[in-house]
Amino acid sequence: MNHFFTVEGILYFGAISLSIIGLFGLLVSKNLFRLLLSLVLFEAGANLVLVLSGFIRNGIAPIFLDGNSGAVMNDPVPQALVLTAIVIGVGVQALALSLIFRVKKHYGSMDMRTIRSKLEREIAENAGVTPPGSNEAPAPVKLIEGENS
Amino acid sequence: MTKYSALLFISGLVFLLMVITGLLPIFSDSHTPMLVGKAILEGAKDQVGAANVVTSVVLGYRGLDTLGELSILFAAASVVGLVLTKSSFNKAASANNDKHDHHDSGFVAVNAIDLIFPLLLVVGMYIITHGHLTPGGGFQGGVVLAVAFSMLVIVRPRRASINHGMVSIIESFAGVSFILIGVIALFKGQSFLQPLLSHGEFGSLWSAGTLPLLYLAVGLKVGAELAGLLLALNSDEVVD
Amino acid sequence: MNSLVLLMVLPLFAAFIIPVVAKFSSKLALFTGPVVLCINLLLIMSAWVKVGSGAHAIFLGGFLPPVGIVFYIDHFSLLFSGLIASMVLIVWPWDAKESRLYSLYMLLSAASFGLALSADLFNLYVFYELLAVATYGIIAKQKNSSATAASLRYLFISSAGSVMLLLGIAIIYTLTGTLNIAHLATMTENLHGFAGLSAFALIAIGAGVKAEMFPVNSWVAEVYGTIPRQLSALLAGLISKLAVVLIIKMLLMVFQVQAAFDLLLVVGMLGVISGEMVAWRAKDMIRMLSFSSIAHLGVLFIALSIGGSKGLWLAIAIMLHHLLVKGGLFLMADRFSGHFDKLKGLAHHSPMSAAVFLVFILSLLGVPPLPGFWIKMALVMNLAELGGGLYYLAIGVILLATIIETAYMFNLVQTMYLKADADSTPLNKRYSASYTFAKLFALLLLVSMVFVSPISKRLKDIANHSANPQIYIHTVLPARYLGEKS
Repeated sequence: MNHFFTVEGILYFGAISLSIIGLFGLLVSKNLFRLLLSLVLFEAGANLVLVLSGFIRNGIAPIFLDGNSGAVMNDPVPQALVLTAIVIGVGVQALALSLIFRVKKHYGSMDMRTIRSKLEREIAENAGVTPPGSNEAPAPVKLIEGENS
Repeated sequence: MTKYSALLFISGLVFLLMVITGLLPIFSDSHTPMLVGKAILEGAKDQVGAANVVTSVVLGYRGLDTLGELSILFAAASVVGLVLTKSSFNKAASANNDKHDHHDSGFVAVNAIDLIFPLLLVVGMYIITHGHLTPGGGFQGGVVLAVAFSMLVIVRPRRASINHGMVSIIESFAGVSFILIGVIALFKGQSFLQPLLSHGEFGSLWSAGTLPLLYLAVGLKVGAELAGLLLALNSDEVVD
Repeated sequence: MNSLVLLMVLPLFAAFIIPVVAKFSSKLALFTGPVVLCINLLLIMSAWVKVGSGAHAIFLGGFLPPVGIVFYIDHFSLLFSGLIASMVLIVWPWDAKESRLYSLYMLLSAASFGLALSADLFNLYVFYELLAVATYGIIAKQKNSSATAASLRYLFISSAGSVMLLLGIAIIYTLTGTLNIAHLATMTENLHGFAGLSAFALIAIGAGVKAEMFPVNSWVAEVYGTIPRQLSALLAGLISKLAVVLIIKMLLMVFQVQAAFDLLLVVGMLGVISGEMVAWRAKDMIRMLSFSSIAHLGVLFIALSIGGSKGLWLAIAIMLHHLLVKGGLFLMADRFSGHFDKLKGLAHHSPMSAAVFLVFILSLLGVPPLPGFWIKMALVMNLAELGGGLYYLAIGVILLATIIETAYMFNLVQTMYLKADADSTPLNKRYSASYTFAKLFALLLLVSMVFVSPISKRLKDIANHSANPQIYIHTVLPARYLGEKS
């Protein structure tokens, strides 16, 4: 386990922990906004793992300048890939935010369980089927009350 | 249910850590086998001619990824527009009726934005046009431009407004010109998105062939999309 | 041949230009998309002839692989390109008013063409995300707010999947230092360790979200329940297959290992069982179709786990069959959705639609003369040939699923042929275009029944060619890299 305490080891540990925190958030949180934040963390961790794959100790940024002809350069490919991945992530997050906004407006709730049970009932009504047993779950506790609305 | 997901989480954690600690070559003395990276570092100077190798990769070697990424931003901006359309139209109508609802921000913010706005524009354009030489480029510069415009609208909602038609024309124009630059190469019998024009003097502003032009298109497009996104989200926040 | 990149570029171009065109004439904007798709169909046909039995690589930007991005063109990718163009044409939103929706459909088809053609791992990820974003948009665009909620849940699940895909790509890049699939295929020994296989698992699960794979498919019923049936036909029929194409590319070229096959086999079996059990208890058409679609994609994964050209051949056959049958059923469901009880007396009301429905169902179950039977038989025979506990178990699962399916499907058919109540109105709509396409699909099924052997021979040729990593590597990589390897 000696190699674990090198620069790479610590950086990897941070990146992986970040994405696992995000994954955990995605699995357990019920509030829509927290879900989105968890997704952001998950993605940030993955991006870090990707950019670390081009990491070289003491390497310099891959830009040709006058004084650096002999130096070892980092791998430029992961940097370009991460640039792409980050922009994609921004697009998806903005989209999610606008959808959250509309869902909040319609269902009056940010709680995924409430929304899901309402959604299932709507689908069943749409299809002309009475929801099975109509065993409506007791109103779940809201994690964050939207106070600014 | 939470228990099961927690279980899943723990197993996922253990699994990933095992993979990372033991098996990735980054921990042995040699680092990642940079097969493609080495080839690019060796060839980029002659093949593309941009001092910033990351730019060579983004616009040259992997130009198609960049085009795809621009399309994703475009798609996201269109969807945000579609989803928030109704409320923003209502809002626009109501904003026209009673403009006194929208106050300018305070003295400090208003004067500061007057000072900063032109500076932000210059910085943004500088970052875009020097993307092939220094760290930066179309994405980073485009974000700066978008922030400049949306700050202006947020601080003085009465004076400044961004014309949505203008934004959509800019984003279409930028996207179309990116594709056209690629297609010209195709019509010359080369491959799609092949860098054109001479490389110029290495490291100077007029170098790297069509790359600065592509980055200009990227910058305009990112700026327009992000400004549209920020404003769409902002305008709806005001309504409720 | 370089011009084949236009398949992907033209729809993108149209997507960018449609918002501006719509300012001048909305009619013109409406017709831009179908025109582009028709041009694409022509391009595909001419390329089909030109490629012949060979393969061709397009080096984007003129950079030789592995440094640049490559499009790989053979009959497999062209077959899917043709399916994409025709399927999007079938479900084109003629009655929509929003020009931005046309843009989204164009982006969706551009992404699909990219997924079918690209031979670069990260490029596939970009197109997969573009496809995802366009799909969220098209779902969320529907007027009802429940579609927005369904789209949001889909977005969370699918984005988490995309991040897993990205992690898998990061691990593969760390291990090998390349992203070109042909280049990866020359370095399989680096990737068949535990790290490489876990990367494959991440990629399979990440792409599996769209492919309705077992643990990550809870979005299916919600999304299909809230969107128009034509769109369900597109999602279930085509988009799910494109995600499978991504998995196929990685599986056949790089991960021909038993562990990868076992993973797909287990996920496939679980998908079949869970899907059929829920479909059995469903009370309305859409729910039943959604879950039986999950089950059939499970069958597809089982077929892929056979591996090699046999697996690919079966997978192509299953995909085409499923596209016709599920696409057709969803298109038909446009006319008679709702509770099963409402379907009482359908056969008297409209014998034709009942007959078309019956054709689809019989083929789905695998009743002898129809193509579904031959596919199921070939699948079971191939699984039996491989032997081994898991494969025998898979045969059992498939047969069990067929029994369950027969039970609920015939229950439904029986309802249809019951005498109608006085007030029942099984058909909820007037004549619609999608019904015509459903009839066309049924006709295609019946025609292919006659030509089973030439079609299967043709598919076998395509699969033999496409499942061969050597052809792939020699087409894509320049000689320099091949020399290094041997």
